[in-house]
Amino acid sequence: MMMKPDTSNPVAGTSPNLLVATIRKPWIWSYLAALLAFLATMVLSGGQGALSLLYAALTFASFSVMVGIGQMFVITLGPGNVDLSIPATMTLVATLSLKFMGSEAGLILPGFLIALIVGLGCGMFNFALILLLRIPPIIATLSSSFLYQSLAIWSNRGLRIKPPEPLAEFSTSGVLGLPNLALVALLLAGLAWVVLERAVVGRWVLAIGQNLRAAQLSGVPVHAVRFCVYVGSALLAAVTGFLLASFSGGANLNMGAEFMLMSIAVVVIGGSSIAGGNSNVPGIWGAALFMFLLVSMLNSYGLGAGVRLVLTGIIIVTVVIVASKRKHSA
Amino acid sequence: MTKTSTLLAAVAGLTMAAVAPVSAETSDKRIALSNNYAGNSWRQAMLESWSKVGDAAVAEGAVAAADAFTTSENQATEQAAQIQNMILQGYDAIVINAASPTAINGAVREACDAGIVVVSFDGIVTEPCAWRIAIDFRQMGRDQITYLNERYPDGGNLLEIRGLAGVFVDDEISAGIHEAAADSKFEIVGSVHGDWAQDVAQRAVAGILPSLPEITAVVTQGGDGYGAAQAFAATDRSMPTIVMGNRQDELAWWAEQKAANGYQTTSLSIAPGVSTLAFWVAQQILDGQEVAKDLSVPMLRVQQDELDAALEATPEGSVANVEYSRDDAIAVIEASQ
Repeated sequence: MMMKPDTSNPVAGTSPNLLVATIRKPWIWSYLAALLAFLATMVLSGGQGALSLLYAALTFASFSVMVGIGQMFVITLGPGNVDLSIPATMTLVATLSLKFMGSEAGLILPGFLIALIVGLGCGMFNFALILLLRIPPIIATLSSSFLYQSLAIWSNRGLRIKPPEPLAEFSTSGVLGLPNLALVALLLAGLAWVVLERAVVGRWVLAIGQNLRAAQLSGVPVHAVRFCVYVGSALLAAVTGFLLASFSGGANLNMGAEFMLMSIAVVVIGGSSIAGGNSNVPGIWGAALFMFLLVSMLNSYGLGAGVRLVLTGIIIVTVVIVASKRKHSA
Repeated sequence: MTKTSTLLAAVAGLTMAAVAPVSAETSDKRIALSNNYAGNSWRQAMLESWSKVGDAAVAEGAVAAADAFTTSENQATEQAAQIQNMILQGYDAIVINAASPTAINGAVREACDAGIVVVSFDGIVTEPCAWRIAIDFRQMGRDQITYLNERYPDGGNLLEIRGLAGVFVDDEISAGIHEAAADSKFEIVGSVHGDWAQDVAQRAVAGILPSLPEITAVVTQGGDGYGAAQAFAATDRSMPTIVMGNRQDELAWWAEQKAANGYQTTSLSIAPGVSTLAFWVAQQILDGQEVAKDLSVPMLRVQQDELDAALEATPEGSVANVEYSRDDAIAVIEASQ
């Protein structure tokens, strides 16, 4: 059942071939891994609770998907590009917007606008550090995240303010058996797919990731594209932070902590190239589902924390190796 | 920000101390707080308690300064450097919430050698020259099972929510829970790590629930009860008895459930104000009192009938707290002798 010999040898940049390449891209492996983790859990529970596990997986994967999309575009820009300020941006946005709303249902829309504005500000600040001060993105986003985190601490001293009731209701419920959050994440993933695969901006992002100099010489507005990518990542982090705080009953100072690695992990496990220039959107969903189901599976089997972490590491490395083997052979 | 404001507070305090009449042997002594982390509501409350009690002590002339310093990265090397700075600045006592029980021992030793009183609390240090205000975390675990034994004499299934893997506190509380559970009719059918955060706990519980049988009660470590409740509420399971950790949102949820269906549980954690106990213990040592090296603080517990009062006294979004006075410190010191 392994890989079929691949004869098409797609060339990046020409669109029909890219479509073929997309279908053959290694994102299938993340779905396969997610399915295996799901089945393994179901074997243990005797098939009971399948639907609720799936529902929970869709709900919690949504957060990873939303930050993962932003991170994917950043990583696509090529080596050295990564947004480490995602956790701090989420925390700052959630703290400020929930404080502003103060649990008032009437203030949800302005609260969401504030979230977007703060996210926009974070993204612009990140890019200003990168472009104007010529600080490498890793250092720039890491240092700006100290600033955002401190602002979050200073603005509300870690107090947890409840989200307005309708907003909490929206983020914890669903329609047609699907969680609302998953619908939002699906919509965003759909948009990201169109941008990456169908819009000229997506081509530009890939071109920059493959060869910055060549992209520049061929007339790609490099700075404008990088600006959009970093701001987009911050905006997605803002939306995620806003929704996560609404979902879990308030903003926490450490609420974003695990999304630092998670946002990068879902991109890599999803089969996008960590070196940039070659990305895919569907893999992010597969990887996000896999990350949730993997932890659930190991928890369900009642393994100790040490074993659980070691296994998580081994399994992730395996998936990445299998996925990248497939990519090289393609 | 914190540093500037504490500095300002300290300057204000110094000026006031100069005006106020001298009232203690320690009125010219300066105490510093070396804190490794400020990124959650418990630590924020801890710092707030420190500055409240510290500023008052400075104003009344009990000490000359009570400055708080927090490292930005929660790393032992950084905290060791911070302690070395405090030695150079000539503080008379350093109160420490340590990033590691062993990694800053070298810096602590240096401080002791320079004649500085070192008192560690919450995150304690093992260096013998320092005082330790320890919390019996194992007992915290056992207490939860003791409570549940009273509630459910026939036992039942337990879900355990642990803290951050690899941290001493997590191992201790969990060991206490498992010890006590082994002697009871309860069975721990599932165990997840919630990292002491509501959203992580919520996700971990939501992930393991589908494979679990009926759950009678959830044992926790503090800060994760509300997340567990949310995860249960999202399913069609009946709500188990969730042991809470004194966070305001947990207490508020409990009060809500109590009003709606008579929900009963208990809540226990360490009061963030333990920093003020450490402050007064340091002051007492500076005052020449004989103090045992190992002291222990009681848990702050909220029972069913105390819920409304506790909830009222806790600021929204914060954590239930008590601040200790000099008399409390003297009582703790005497109890240990």
